Amino acid sequence: MGDYVWFHDVSWHASYAIYFFVIGILAGLSFLSYGSWITPALRPLREKAAYLSLALLAIGGLLLIADLSQPLRFLNTLNPMYLSFTSPLAWGALNIVAFGVASVLYILELRKGQDSARGKLLALVTALLALGLPIYTGYDLTVHQSRPVWNTPVMPVLFVALAIASGSAVGSLLSGGNAEAQKVLREYMLWSTAGVGVILVSILGTTNYGGSAQELTFMILTTGTMGMIFVGVGILAGTAAPVAMLFLAHLKQQTTGLMIAALLILLGSAALRYALLMGPQQLQTLY
Amino acid sequence: MSEELRVSPIETRGVAGKKRYAMVVDTRRCIGCMACQVACKAEYDTPLGVNRTWVPYKVVGTYPTVKKQFLPRLCNHCDDPPCVRNCPVDATYKVEDGGFVLQRYERCIGCRSCMAACPYNARFMLPAHRTYSSITRVVDKCTFCFHRVTQNLVPACVQTCIGRSRVFGDLNDPTSEVSYLVAKNATQVLRPEEGTKPHVFYIGADRNATEFGRDAYRQPEVMEPERSAFNRHFKI
Repeated sequence: MGDYVWFHDVSWHASYAIYFFVIGILAGLSFLSYGSWITPALRPLREKAAYLSLALLAIGGLLLIADLSQPLRFLNTLNPMYLSFTSPLAWGALNIVAFGVASVLYILELRKGQDSARGKLLALVTALLALGLPIYTGYDLTVHQSRPVWNTPVMPVLFVALAIASGSAVGSLLSGGNAEAQKVLREYMLWSTAGVGVILVSILGTTNYGGSAQELTFMILTTGTMGMIFVGVGILAGTAAPVAMLFLAHLKQQTTGLMIAALLILLGSAALRYALLMGPQQLQTLY
Repeated sequence: MSEELRVSPIETRGVAGKKRYAMVVDTRRCIGCMACQVACKAEYDTPLGVNRTWVPYKVVGTYPTVKKQFLPRLCNHCDDPPCVRNCPVDATYKVEDGGFVLQRYERCIGCRSCMAACPYNARFMLPAHRTYSSITRVVDKCTFCFHRVTQNLVPACVQTCIGRSRVFGDLNDPTSEVSYLVAKNATQVLRPEEGTKPHVFYIGADRNATEFGRDAYRQPEVMEPERSAFNRHFKI
């Protein structure tokens, strides 16, 4: 009563969560495109995944640049005189550019229409660079020592698992009625989403049993609107439900169940990214 | 000097020949006049809605024995600043001799990574339009009045503090007033668990003000009216 506090806006807004979502899908699609060179069942996805991945990179890149308050200065992140490698953002900027270059070269090779050794090598390089994208975005949160939830070593792992899950979900939607591809993608979705669930349980555990900041953040994440987004949409509808459906689809060979599970995974991964980005920032707004 | 407490090479605790400026805030002397906040605003023409220094307070106790607990706030010019580590383009940096954590406005890309990294909310984004300055849309913060201190003056907030609640000086100089105050009084720093080694020391700060309390729990929808009011005024 009668207290005077100063309002501080959150540092990163929802557009950053959309960027995380887009970058996760494109990384997952790159894994699938490389996977098609090893697993014949995924062959129909090779070109589609590569093209969509590059298109999403353009969208994600524009989102990231537009989110800067000085958009044109994004070039500073590529200036070797300015780069500070203690920041994951610097590594991320280089990773994005390298992925973009590799992705274009890979697509040019694909357009030749031959299954060449160079194509496979470029697919591998693109997939490895794509792996760096969810790792860097997770690491980008992890390094903030004062933020509960973010400052946990599992964040990069969670983002990689989310990338595989959401990329496979988009792959499943792209595959349509291709039973062979769906069979492989179902396995990818099932185990990556189950992995997401396990990581979320461990995050919730360390958050709930942490210090006062962690406990308060746990309360923010699990109650009210944020609770509905994080627990309701992210964990129950977007993680637990698709795992159950994928497991049942595994038993009954249902394609419709797979498609619904894929949609739920996409919805859940978007919700989780939003909640994990915004929730831990709320506590400090009035500190 | 307890130089054995140095963890990171960026820290200057007890380094011979290096100044380590710090501020001691004696909250027992603070009367909440906000003159420091006004002096800072006057010194830097800080826009409406944001502050380099601010003085929040909490009313503690039970009626009739209640009192206001002031906690003047500013950038803590940490010895191991997380904002410096997190800036991708070296737009924020630490001055080795003095320990000032400063900002290169012409280099800042506005990614807000430093704002997210700061445990003290010391950083803010400058709005798109300012009357007397062309420095806009970049992150800004307290500089410990670098321009004044290098001219042998004290920061504007210290100069104006009517109760001498704020004291400024070199912690590496054992004869300075801040060294004396830190040595002779029980002092606190904000959020010591973060390992940032702040250079703002408080005497007599109330834990109701320094720690996260139950009232820090606010749902986003409760925060939304404040956020939208902030953003309405403060188009970035």
